[in-house]
Amino acid sequence: MKRIILPLLLLLNTVFCLAQDNYDVDLIPANLRPRANAIIRNQETLVDMKAVDNVMYSVKQAITVFNKNGENSARLVLFYDKNTAIKSIKGEVYNEVGKLMGKFSQSDFRDESAVQDFSLFEDSRIKHFLPSVNTYPYTVVYNYEIRFKQNLIIPDWTPKPANDVAVEKSTYTFICKPAEVLRIKAQHLANAEETADEKQKTYTWKANNLPAVKAEPYSPLKHFYQTSVKIAPQQFSYFKHHGSYNNWQELGKWYYSELLKDRQALPVATVETIKDLVKNEKDDKAKAKKIYQFLQEKTRYISIQIGIGGFQPYSAADVDRLGYGDCKALVNYMQSLLAVVGIESYYCVVEAGTQKIDLDASYASMNQGNHVILCLPLKADTVWLECTNQKIPFGFLSDFTDDRTVLACTKDGGKLLRTPKLTTKANLQVRKADLVVDAQGNISGTLNTNFSGSQYDNRQNILYKPFTEQQKALQEDYNVNNIRFDKIEYQQYKDVNPQLTENLTVDIRNYATLNEGKMFFELNAFNIQNAVSDSKNRILPVYINRGFTDVDTVIYQLPENVIPFITPISKTFKTDFGTYESTATLNENKLIYYRKLSVNDGTYPASSYELFHKFMADVNVADHLKIILSLKK
Amino acid sequence: MKYLLSLCFVFIAFNSFSQDFNYGSATHNDNDFDRKTIDSNANAVVLKEFGTARLQLDEATGRLVILFEYHVKIKIFNKEGFKHADVVIPTYKDDNIQEYVQDVNAVTHNYINENFVQTVMDRKALFTENRSKYQSLTKFTLPNIKEGSIIEYKYRIQSPLIFNFRSWYFQSDIPKLHSEYLAYIPANFNYNVSLRGFYKLTDQKAEVSRECLRLSGQALDCSKMTYIMKNVPAFIEEDYMTAASNFMSAMHFELAEEHMLNGSKKSYTKTWKDVDFDLVGDKKLGSQMKRKDVFKEIVPDLIKESPDDLSKAKAIYNYIKKQIKWNNYYGKYSEENIKNVIDSRSGNVADINLSLIAALSAANLDAEAVILSTRENGLVNKLYPVITDFNYVVAKVNIGEKSYLLDATEPLLPFGLLPLRCINDQGRVINLKKPSYWIDLKADQKSTTSFVLNGKLNAEGKIIGNLSTTYFGYAAFNKRREIKKFNSVDEYFEKVDERLNKTKISNHKISAVDSVEKPLVEVFDVEFSAHDGTSKSQFYISPFIVSRIAKNPFNLNDRTYPIDMGAASDERIVINIELPEKLNLQEKPKDMAIGLPNNGGRYLLQTNLTDTQFSVNQMLQLNKAIYGAEEYLYLKEFYSKIIQNQKTDVLLKASN
Repeated sequence: MKRIILPLLLLLNTVFCLAQDNYDVDLIPANLRPRANAIIRNQETLVDMKAVDNVMYSVKQAITVFNKNGENSARLVLFYDKNTAIKSIKGEVYNEVGKLMGKFSQSDFRDESAVQDFSLFEDSRIKHFLPSVNTYPYTVVYNYEIRFKQNLIIPDWTPKPANDVAVEKSTYTFICKPAEVLRIKAQHLANAEETADEKQKTYTWKANNLPAVKAEPYSPLKHFYQTSVKIAPQQFSYFKHHGSYNNWQELGKWYYSELLKDRQALPVATVETIKDLVKNEKDDKAKAKKIYQFLQEKTRYISIQIGIGGFQPYSAADVDRLGYGDCKALVNYMQSLLAVVGIESYYCVVEAGTQKIDLDASYASMNQGNHVILCLPLKADTVWLECTNQKIPFGFLSDFTDDRTVLACTKDGGKLLRTPKLTTKANLQVRKADLVVDAQGNISGTLNTNFSGSQYDNRQNILYKPFTEQQKALQEDYNVNNIRFDKIEYQQYKDVNPQLTENLTVDIRNYATLNEGKMFFELNAFNIQNAVSDSKNRILPVYINRGFTDVDTVIYQLPENVIPFITPISKTFKTDFGTYESTATLNENKLIYYRKLSVNDGTYPASSYELFHKFMADVNVADHLKIILSLKK
Repeated sequence: MKYLLSLCFVFIAFNSFSQDFNYGSATHNDNDFDRKTIDSNANAVVLKEFGTARLQLDEATGRLVILFEYHVKIKIFNKEGFKHADVVIPTYKDDNIQEYVQDVNAVTHNYINENFVQTVMDRKALFTENRSKYQSLTKFTLPNIKEGSIIEYKYRIQSPLIFNFRSWYFQSDIPKLHSEYLAYIPANFNYNVSLRGFYKLTDQKAEVSRECLRLSGQALDCSKMTYIMKNVPAFIEEDYMTAASNFMSAMHFELAEEHMLNGSKKSYTKTWKDVDFDLVGDKKLGSQMKRKDVFKEIVPDLIKESPDDLSKAKAIYNYIKKQIKWNNYYGKYSEENIKNVIDSRSGNVADINLSLIAALSAANLDAEAVILSTRENGLVNKLYPVITDFNYVVAKVNIGEKSYLLDATEPLLPFGLLPLRCINDQGRVINLKKPSYWIDLKADQKSTTSFVLNGKLNAEGKIIGNLSTTYFGYAAFNKRREIKKFNSVDEYFEKVDERLNKTKISNHKISAVDSVEKPLVEVFDVEFSAHDGTSKSQFYISPFIVSRIAKNPFNLNDRTYPIDMGAASDERIVINIELPEKLNLQEKPKDMAIGLPNNGGRYLLQTNLTDTQFSVNQMLQLNKAIYGAEEYLYLKEFYSKIIQNQKTDVLLKASN
């Protein structure tokens, strides 16, 4: 018996040696197959920081694609610009059993500019490639090497690129000189193996056997739960700028002194105009408001990003002459204008978007934040300004940058500040409808709605459109068959807490249905809450990014031909996620429908998803409540 | 005096050369222009727009090029109109030729304190973006834009693409007061000229311009054509519409023939006979169709088990679909030769479908090519051949009396069904031996869906049953595409289940996901609440529990352009519910049978109760792929009536 086992073992051993580069699909562990459209068989990422202006970034990656949906993960996309040079790319494609099918090199890559839609110009470009294979599964192996001429931004290592991709094996190795000081933030990962000698030190992280998972609705952003390693060297170089930092304070200091300072000179004429503009204003807030108005009238947002210009604003004089600029340039310009009348303000870096993302207080780095806003620390209160939008009210940030940690770059160094929160209570939509139902079931009347908080923006896409386009857009929004608007009117109350009022005259033919001596209609004509989809075997916490409150009162004046009698309706649901209340009562021939829905922001345990789902489903059912009235005989 | 005279002379000479308006000045008329006179909703208006195109010899290359000069003045009324101050000029390039943008000048005029203040655009604001292998973008933005600004810019494009001269769009997304195009066409060139769109020219003029072009030392006269359109409304796109270029007012050119200086004549597009000859001989089209040799080894193997021609054709179609992957590029010309395509297993539309034709021919089947224009590319000119109108090619195989149109770019398409993008009026059949001819590109099959729900209503108000859905034609194609987005059928159903909020589904089965020739059948058990179960003696339930129409797709008040649905559709719903006890049908939605005019479509509804069997039958047919704009309101009312009726419930009452 023993004699047989030994050669077999030997055989296995040889197979294992070959398996280093064996991409036979049968070798993929069964537990990594479910839900995976692709799997990273092996990835080795190596960053070798030879000097502050010479960082070699090399990746070897073997990825098996199971089906068409997995192809996105197989596509290799590399960005490059003046600071980033692609040194080499090559690769191979293997079939299901791991047989080599073909090779490719840099010349097979498509080269395109990487200018984003909102930009006039950027100097970054991409090279991308996807092998054309029609039979799945197949494996593609890439080897590429990139040289960064800077070390201010070292790409974060995130071994699992997407939900539908599993990872069999992935390693990250970072090499630098022994004297380099690094700040490292590793998340959901065992500590690095460290080795050091007099020439270099090496850190290695491993991530193995990460399964593919299903996307879950209302989950926190990937940032919070994904496996990752972020590295920030203390000494750095970027487009010939040098510096060092260990924390936000120092990074903000460098930002201010290297990139912002001395870009604020204004032409004398503009200085005079500003002084003249505010000469009758007593307090700083009123002055700032006038200057903000001046900014909004004079400038518009145009994005141009070239080289260091990705971080450094155009000078205030440029903006003054051209009348446009990107977020950095406009903030810098506004700051210069305020400085003319002695108002202090901070240039603040923020990660913008309706999803709230904080700058990480425990880890300072340059690749956080994608936008800039201005903060005015006035004596009475702090005012925040969004400088790229010509229509937004003074002091209002909207849900684009509310409630998050930002970096203020000041002459005293960086400071972490927090933007004001738009709360569930403040994000208010209050609607009142006064409608007359006629004997045929047609309804007509007025519909007045007040929007505030984050809901102030609900109508921004409609507000400035011509009447016919407003008509179309509102028909989409209200989504009631046969709805028509005879009058559409908006009033804006532009303030730190702005409000928008919508006044409509509405007419809905055949809203109520008459059938066999009865009249039917849905009580809640205008504000049906959609249910949320179920999320079985929930893993991630439930995350509601922003709360809101909607209050609707609809009064239906009933026609002569119905018998004014209903059984009063009252529905109430109270949960941690929010509350709902709806009632229908009759006052002579007036049917009064009242509805209030509040949804609270916050993070809730995964196990509570079922309750959340039930709450929203209950609301949806209650929102569809029909009333049945008998017609007089 | 003499000086003045010569100045005048220069001015006149300039003027006869072109009637372009002066660059760099704004007038009070421009400034005071009231948009109400053309469109009170406009965010910006083109005050004046002037273009000139002429043929010229490029000294550097010795080639003829088009020199196109453009000059425009735009009034911006509000912030919404600011985007018209950001300008993008796309130009073509490839390995051999390139278009150039030259002499870009731009200026903003602002009326401040009773004065026009001009801000000239910096060179710094001009960027060239190397977008891709085939496209460059010249981009610029004007300085100091305010509400009420007048912007003005001009530029020149030098293009070696003389075949289409230069199209001129009279219409854009903002209204235009005056749009004028001047085309200098040398006498030895003959262009076919066509005006597309809804609006007529306000004015046109044909004059002779002496000695406008010198070729080989010889001076040639030109026809100087002036086309003017005034007060052109903005073009507004609508839903269910094919290419905007079909409807946008524009002047298009196509080179027909060139008279050589030696007296000979070179014909470009004259008759289909000439075109046929060119295409059949074209290395990237006809020659590739002929390459049976590429397939002579593979094909016998593929068809060895096929008893008849139809099954041979299917076997070859399936082989090409599987073998060559579409690289997402359109084209009527092959990019590679098909030998390479078979090796690299990837190609554009022409690579794939010309391979298919060659392979079909290798099996001695009668295969032809059909060149066509996709829906987003617009309609082709049918008066005379305009070969650049075509951007796609598919195969046509004739078997016995029947012929089938085939496109092997989409693996999920069944034999004989074209993707919707190809369903666009008519295509031209190119045969290697016979003259070409037009063929209708109609959707061969409808988009058909049929639902059958059999269930039982229990005492608690729940319906427990089984729903079976069968998809045919485009409906099957679309459903397969949706399912293929998931890693497995189980994951697809998991999503379906999560999406259906009030319904639980289980025991799902699906058949023929990969057998694309067969209808797709989806079956699962369902459970949902029909009523809350509190009242046993009488309760309402909705009979519209499957594929209810929640929203009128035709909700607007008017329509300008035809409504293009792509394919006709047919939906049938049959519901049978077994009631827990004998109940009376107290109230029910009215049975309906309504139709659209000219047999455009119909809707039927019937509900019945016999004993304890409650049944609902519905049918919704839209028989046309394209409805005229005048039919919009009929469609709106048709859907409105259906929705109205679907709001009513059934009242069931226990018999006492």
